[in-house]
Amino acid sequence: MKGVFSIVGWTVVAALGAGALGSIALHRGEPLNATWFVVAAVCCYLVAYRLYSAFVAAKVLTLDDTRATPCERHDDGRDFVPTNKWVLFGHHFAAIAGPGPLVGPTLAAQFGYLPGTLWLIAGAAFAGCVQDFVILFCSIRRDGKSIGQMAREEVGERGGFIAQLAVLAIMTILLAVIGLVVVNALKSSPWATFTLAMTIPIALLLGLYLRFVRPGRVLEASVMGVALVLFVVVAGQWVADSPSWARVFTLSGVALAFTIIAYGFAASALPVWLLLAPRDYLSAFIKAGAIFSLAAGILFVRPQVLMPPLTRFIDGTGPVFAGKIFPFCFITIACGAISGFHSLISSGTTPKMILRESHARFIGYGAMLLESFVGVMAMVAACAMPPGVYFAINSPPSIVGSSGAAAAGTISGWGYPLQAQTMSDLAHKVGEITLWNRAGGAPSLAVGMAQIFSSTIGGERLLSIWYHFAIMFEALFILTVLDAGTRVGRFMVQDLGGRFWKPFGRTGWMPGVLLSSAIIVALWGYFLYQGVVDPLGGINSLWPLFGISNQLLAAVALVVATTILMKMGRLRWIWVTLLPMAWLVTITMTASYQKIFDANPRIGFLAYARTLATQIAAGKIPAEKIAETQRLIFNQRLDAAVTGVLAAMILVLILEALAHWYAMLSRRKESVLHESPYIATRWAPDFSGAAHGDD
Amino acid sequence: MRRAAKSTSRFLRRFWHGLREWCGDAAYEDYLRSKSGQMSTCRRLTPAEFYVEQLNRRYSKPNRCC
Repeated sequence: MKGVFSIVGWTVVAALGAGALGSIALHRGEPLNATWFVVAAVCCYLVAYRLYSAFVAAKVLTLDDTRATPCERHDDGRDFVPTNKWVLFGHHFAAIAGPGPLVGPTLAAQFGYLPGTLWLIAGAAFAGCVQDFVILFCSIRRDGKSIGQMAREEVGERGGFIAQLAVLAIMTILLAVIGLVVVNALKSSPWATFTLAMTIPIALLLGLYLRFVRPGRVLEASVMGVALVLFVVVAGQWVADSPSWARVFTLSGVALAFTIIAYGFAASALPVWLLLAPRDYLSAFIKAGAIFSLAAGILFVRPQVLMPPLTRFIDGTGPVFAGKIFPFCFITIACGAISGFHSLISSGTTPKMILRESHARFIGYGAMLLESFVGVMAMVAACAMPPGVYFAINSPPSIVGSSGAAAAGTISGWGYPLQAQTMSDLAHKVGEITLWNRAGGAPSLAVGMAQIFSSTIGGERLLSIWYHFAIMFEALFILTVLDAGTRVGRFMVQDLGGRFWKPFGRTGWMPGVLLSSAIIVALWGYFLYQGVVDPLGGINSLWPLFGISNQLLAAVALVVATTILMKMGRLRWIWVTLLPMAWLVTITMTASYQKIFDANPRIGFLAYARTLATQIAAGKIPAEKIAETQRLIFNQRLDAAVTGVLAAMILVLILEALAHWYAMLSRRKESVLHESPYIATRWAPDFSGAAHGDD
Repeated sequence: MRRAAKSTSRFLRRFWHGLREWCGDAAYEDYLRSKSGQMSTCRRLTPAEFYVEQLNRRYSKPNRCC
């Protein structure tokens, strides 16, 4: 009887999901209510988790709860800590949820709400969650080894080296692009700049408290910190209203870029307890609060989605970034559907803390579903504002025109009616000087979030507070990724340099610390500066580059996963990882080719460089701008080279893997699986981790 | 009524434990409970030493994603 109820229940959930998806896909004319998005996403996630993840767990991976996990074998109270599955889910989600699922869908909204939403849901269920789950499982079976170590052992030395290079490349591009998002969010905004600047002394204060006053008491320090941050969000208004203080905190894009570069260097070189860790605590609490508030706000307000399902920009002429829906929608969404970076987390801390193999399904697959849901909410928030406003915020002046009237005319001409006055009124309501040309996703998402929050609490009176709260939330956790990433990048540079000169590899040697910090900061700082001065807005070239490198790393992870499945004798089921891998390789290669060679200067790096060179040769560039234009030409060629190197790396890895697979299948090479030996667990079946062990 | 109060208090207690574990507040207690924390051959770290050591280890590898 219970079985019948279960079948009926799941059939109802599936039918509801299909109905909601159908409404989203086929609806035309009147604006659509956001509730359909929530219902479609939640029902699809439930069905995917109940059926597909269960299939992967039982048939493909054959999870074994009688096997002791790394935390039972090595329990050292440091890295290997038996952790309750709900707590570890929270840890894992906090680690994987970054700015990507918020910014990517917001940018992809230029194609309309439909393609992005469908890819967020389907991509997560069949690719992103599978990658996270399988890599987590593989790492658990190998004592928590990293993706690089697994690639080296299972695919070959070259595979491991490529994985390491890919991590450094993605890190450099990632840090530059998220830095650019922060620059565009804070540019000419004294309120937002003050609020974010104040989080640094607050973090220093917390750092000193946690180190010397109450060591390790994170919860009480975070409560104090969050209260102080909320206070400075409100205080930012007083700064913006004071002409003398407003002048101090009104910074240009270039000034902000150099400030962020200096901050990144300081965060990497200073002791971790002083600045980086306390900021991370603050960010984790505010991130969790803001994401749950946004979900609750969408369910409570149920806003109308004003963006059409498909816009005219699916043809590749979009103002936010150029490129057709295939492959650029997938490259742009990136982390909300599948993120290569997650494979670093799934083969990092999480496998060392997991209690049982069966928890890998809930944590690996489930946490990625939640991240995808964050992406769907970001899509709703971006699409709930009038399309004209969305394009006004996200389009560079070189596309729409530099004056408000010209830009409003261009955007209205595209079929998205907009008055210049509407933008002035909106900027005034959210407490900003201007909202034109704020590409990067953060300001438009903040406007969307502020409208949802203010419809729940405070009305228009609190719109400016909510807007700056949203900007602070986005910028705070973006900078947390930036400083943590710079520090990890510093360790990678030291590791690499240490092979040539031993003292450089010592992580406690101050000259080595300073030099390696300077190298990693110079690497991403160069791309950040290039993005800030790019007349096409920076996001147009940097975000696709970030998407390509991220998806490349995901392809690397799936190559490793497929190889391991093959070695485990699961040939029948390798399509589970092979198909997403093939899809990722297809989109990465197509996007890379177009970004390098496309004849349209807005898409192809080389075409843009050629256009600029022709303009110089034809004497169309004023003499004082020639040096700047030549720098632009160099930057375009550099971007083309970086894209080419990334694409070449994945090709080499795939060829290496194919050769390896052929040798295994034709029995020319013995297939050796590098799993840790089986040890039976000694934990009772109801043991649920340290937190509840006392109950 | 009493049963509801009891299960609410149990839920809140578990939530509090979970929250402390999630944010790292209970990390030192976990260390003391672990094998290395109980080994008599090794010197047991103080809360301040453990806090700094744990942060240095955690932030030397990717722990925040994009």
